[in-house]
Amino acid sequence: MATDKELNDFLEHVERRAFKQAVYAVRKEESALDIVQDAMIKLAEKYGDKPAAELPALFQRILQTTILDYFRREKVRNTWVTLFSGLKPGGDEHEDFELLDTYEAEQGSSAAESSADQVERAQILDLIDEEVQKLPARQREAFLMRYWQDMDVAETAEAMGCSEGSVKTHCSRATHTLAESLKAKGIKL
Amino acid sequence: MNTDDLNFAYKVRHALNEKLDDLPSSTTDRLAAARKAAMARKKADAPARAHVQGTVFAGVASQFFLAPRAWLGRMSVVIPLLLLVAGATGLYHFEQEQRIAELAELDAAVLSDELPLSAYMDHGFNTYLTQSAQ
Repeated sequence: MATDKELNDFLEHVERRAFKQAVYAVRKEESALDIVQDAMIKLAEKYGDKPAAELPALFQRILQTTILDYFRREKVRNTWVTLFSGLKPGGDEHEDFELLDTYEAEQGSSAAESSADQVERAQILDLIDEEVQKLPARQREAFLMRYWQDMDVAETAEAMGCSEGSVKTHCSRATHTLAESLKAKGIKL
Repeated sequence: MNTDDLNFAYKVRHALNEKLDDLPSSTTDRLAAARKAAMARKKADAPARAHVQGTVFAGVASQFFLAPRAWLGRMSVVIPLLLLVAGATGLYHFEQEQRIAELAELDAAVLSDELPLSAYMDHGFNTYLTQSAQ
């Protein structure tokens, strides 16, 4: 049974990676923060009494479900927005572009203060980040859970709701896709 | 997955971990606040819940509400079953009594008749009846 400290340490350990996972999926930082908060609360409320060893798999499962719920809500919301968009001049697309510009500027501003090497390294990290985001959703989930969240194949399969063979296939494809896309941009790891 | 692929995957992992350090403080603060909110709503441990229940029904009340509840639960199954068996047995006995009473009435009617039963079996008596009727 996880103690308060164990649960707190676990959440502290995974919160940033969970946030990035959510950002990769939904591409909106504010929504990603909400998703991580929801997932953390669900884990604490419903599975706070589970052993600490079970927490990573449970949290990943909850996180994936919360992301799916977000997409379902967005789909419903977009249906209504589309229905009423004909009544007024559309400004939503323009707003999306502004958000994206702001995000990129924030990332660039911290690197701009550093030396040339650091800038180059930061740019490479950004490119890797972008390429991870571009991966097909299932491949990205499998890759991140296996190699970023340190989950084994069985845990990943359970969290993704698929077979262990599918997890291995997704991981292999993700690795090859990433390697090829980074190579195409002149980055060799 | 071969060793090269694994090495590549772990290099990507390293790069992603480095990117985590670049998260703005507003984001990390928000994540910390979310963690605190989650901890505040942590599910209570099972023994703690049992303790709370015990203290709510303290003293004599706890004996009244907790122990007989299981007994009542068992009785709620046993009593209807007993009633069903008793009802079926009663019905069977009632039907038997009815049947016996009907047979007894028939027997009584036959036995209380003026002619004895052996008279119906006597061929000579039948002949006498036929002749006397003529």
